Amino acid sequence: MDNWEQLQQAALTGRMTRRDFISRAAALGIGTSLATGILAKAGYAQTPKKGGTLRLGMEGGSPSDSLDPRTYADSVMIAASLTCMNCLIEFDSKGNPTGELFESWEVKPGAAEWVFNVRKGIKFSNGKTLDAEDCIYSIQIHRGETKSPAKGILAQIQEIKALSPTQVGITLSSGNADFPVILGDYHLVVVPKDFTDWQKPIGTGAYTLESFEPGVRLVFKNRGDFWKPNRGNFDSVEIRNIQDVAARTSALQSGEIDGCNRLDARTVKLLMKDPNLHVTRTKGTGNRFCFVARVTDPPYTNKDLRLALKYGIDREKIIESVYNGFAVPGNDHNLDALNPFYNTKMPQRKYDPDKAAFHFKKAGVSAPMELQTSDGAWGTAVDCAQLYQESLKKAGINLDVKKVSGDGYWDNVWLKAPFCAVYWGRRMSADQAFTQVFGDKSDWNDTNWKDPTFQKLIGDARVETDNAKRKALYWQAQEMISDDGGFVCFAITDYLDGYSKKVRGNEPHARYDLNDNRIAEKAWFA
Amino acid sequence: MLRTIVIRVVLGLLTLLAVSILIFAATEILPGDVASAVLGQGATPDTLAQFRHELGLDRPGYIRYLEWFTHAIRGDFGAALTNKRDILTSMTPKFENTMFLAGYAALIAVPLAVGMGIVAAINEGKWIDRVVNIVSLAAISVPEFFIGYLLIFFFAVQLGWFPSLSTVFMDMGFAERVHVVALPAVTLTLLVTAHMLRMTRSSVLSIMSQPYIEMAFLKGLTRTRVIFVHALPNAAAPIITVIALNLAYLIVGVVVIETVFVYPGIGQFMVDGVTKRDLPVIQACGLVFAGAFIILNTTADVLSILVNPRLRKSR
Repeated sequence: MDNWEQLQQAALTGRMTRRDFISRAAALGIGTSLATGILAKAGYAQTPKKGGTLRLGMEGGSPSDSLDPRTYADSVMIAASLTCMNCLIEFDSKGNPTGELFESWEVKPGAAEWVFNVRKGIKFSNGKTLDAEDCIYSIQIHRGETKSPAKGILAQIQEIKALSPTQVGITLSSGNADFPVILGDYHLVVVPKDFTDWQKPIGTGAYTLESFEPGVRLVFKNRGDFWKPNRGNFDSVEIRNIQDVAARTSALQSGEIDGCNRLDARTVKLLMKDPNLHVTRTKGTGNRFCFVARVTDPPYTNKDLRLALKYGIDREKIIESVYNGFAVPGNDHNLDALNPFYNTKMPQRKYDPDKAAFHFKKAGVSAPMELQTSDGAWGTAVDCAQLYQESLKKAGINLDVKKVSGDGYWDNVWLKAPFCAVYWGRRMSADQAFTQVFGDKSDWNDTNWKDPTFQKLIGDARVETDNAKRKALYWQAQEMISDDGGFVCFAITDYLDGYSKKVRGNEPHARYDLNDNRIAEKAWFA
Repeated sequence: MLRTIVIRVVLGLLTLLAVSILIFAATEILPGDVASAVLGQGATPDTLAQFRHELGLDRPGYIRYLEWFTHAIRGDFGAALTNKRDILTSMTPKFENTMFLAGYAALIAVPLAVGMGIVAAINEGKWIDRVVNIVSLAAISVPEFFIGYLLIFFFAVQLGWFPSLSTVFMDMGFAERVHVVALPAVTLTLLVTAHMLRMTRSSVLSIMSQPYIEMAFLKGLTRTRVIFVHALPNAAAPIITVIALNLAYLIVGVVVIETVFVYPGIGQFMVDGVTKRDLPVIQACGLVFAGAFIILNTTADVLSILVNPRLRKSR
């Protein structure tokens, strides 16, 4: 879009975000004041308007949903909790941690001792004023005897105590410069101390829960006077659970909902043409789709074989035919381009049958190789594996593809099969991403690649508070994984949200779709 | 006759017991359990063991089965393993929704199918007979989700007469419900009509070749009168059985329709229970489904006896 006419048209029909428009206008040499004038005409108000009912249709819920934060695992409950509650730490659109109920923090050198300042004057929906004890309780429910998914990431906490009613001191068993990112985890929403009635959650969010039918619908009402300026703009919010993507799409087209998540990449190009709709695309921050080889199981102990497997996958073809182009190629490690520590100098690995054949020959492996895949890994894992098999064949490498049952896949195949399909979600910090997937103490190190140099690298980076030095360490770590590990990461998908044209404040976000699942808090109607 | 009914009911209860054992055995031999299904990829051996112990999954299967069964016969289905909610409380509104949709579809489908079947039989071989046959067969030959999407495309997206989402909520009025659920009800009608229609037509026609029908014609009666007064009462038994089977299908077999129209019925509830290995939920749904089948079939048997004068007399 390099034509001013086209650009104006896009803005007037709501097909662009405000930020995109201004930066593109600037690239054309159009001054900000003129650009803002066009925006005002298009209804991009500078300050959000109040009122209306936001109706969302979302995938990622089930009849067994509960508002207990120890059970959150999918989008509907994450979005629902962020509608009526707040976290300790929030992320800005680039993915950097910023203050939420913890307003600010200080850290001592070594990154093991932290002091967090609780935001003052915040009231819960029951009238109680937020203090340090509430924050501590909300962290403690995820520690000790619990099945909370956040238990693992909080294990590094050695001591947690209230230094004053507005200060929380946390001591870690070893330093972690990314600790605020850990506290930004979506499970860590804040409720009053000793709160247990999860059917009627008490939070500090912009809305209060009106009704909840698990797997069907949640209704929220604005409770007035939200503490974040310009946010919490709707009178009420309705989150409907719509698992079927075709049902979500037709509900959006017929105007029964104002926004939805997870559009189908195969049909989204048609939706983009609909003048009443707007599609928000977040490039390459979604799931990382991989085939992982355990480097301790023969024949994958051979480094050249692993390289052959990486050069032998046709990433572009898989992205084009399976994801309709709505994904970016992975570079055989698990960071994406929106991570501040992403190695931008490392060349993207491409399909190269000659190199694959060369390394395969050098490896001299004659044992049969079998890749286990299943629609239980992810919906299109079998298609991806078959395309992989074809592209390897062109390099003279034979790979058997075995389709296994989706039931119990994570239990029986993953972490056990020598070569299998797996996807990984985004981790907010480089440390989390590397420690969970490649750490020598991680239960989930599915490649079993435990290179001591690498472990030392990420250990050093974890306690390093100088960002330039950390960057150098993480860049090297990515190169090591990509060149030596058993991780064939071929695609990182885009998030695709659909909105009616009148919704504003629906920019892409580095963490999750639907503007970090905080669309109810951030958006407004034009 | 009373004896026949009692035997039917006892047989039904025994079937129910057998079904409960079968369902239990089936869920036991599936790979994975509720702990690994709920925790998913994020499971660690530590949290898995903790979760299993919390749910009592570390005890033998037959003990858990007996415990559940003794509670269930007292009407207590227990709490869901996943979210600890009482199953009966969460299942009741979903079952009511399912019954509403099934009843709605049946109210359109049964009179339509039987009526058109009789019309087809009266006009055997004429154009109306052929049209009715072709249309109903075409409707049953198309996959149900496809009919659903077609209806959504034309009546929700293009014309905007009906909503594409048929979700009903607890606070929704009756008239609104009828409007919202129209599209899935019509879809289901198209699915079940053909079966009942063809059965009505063929059983009426097979009676028509009997000697006493010939006698009735020879008396000079009209075709319509022969069919309604002489043929239909004797043809009723197989028609009632087919209607009962189709009603049972409307209750237990509509999970695809529920998904397409986002209808909060019991089918989705059970599918979710299966994917999460939530044993008590599967058991409860299985029992309800089996119960629905058995009640409808028993009713069909009893009705067939009542409408047929020859069966009505006790032997």
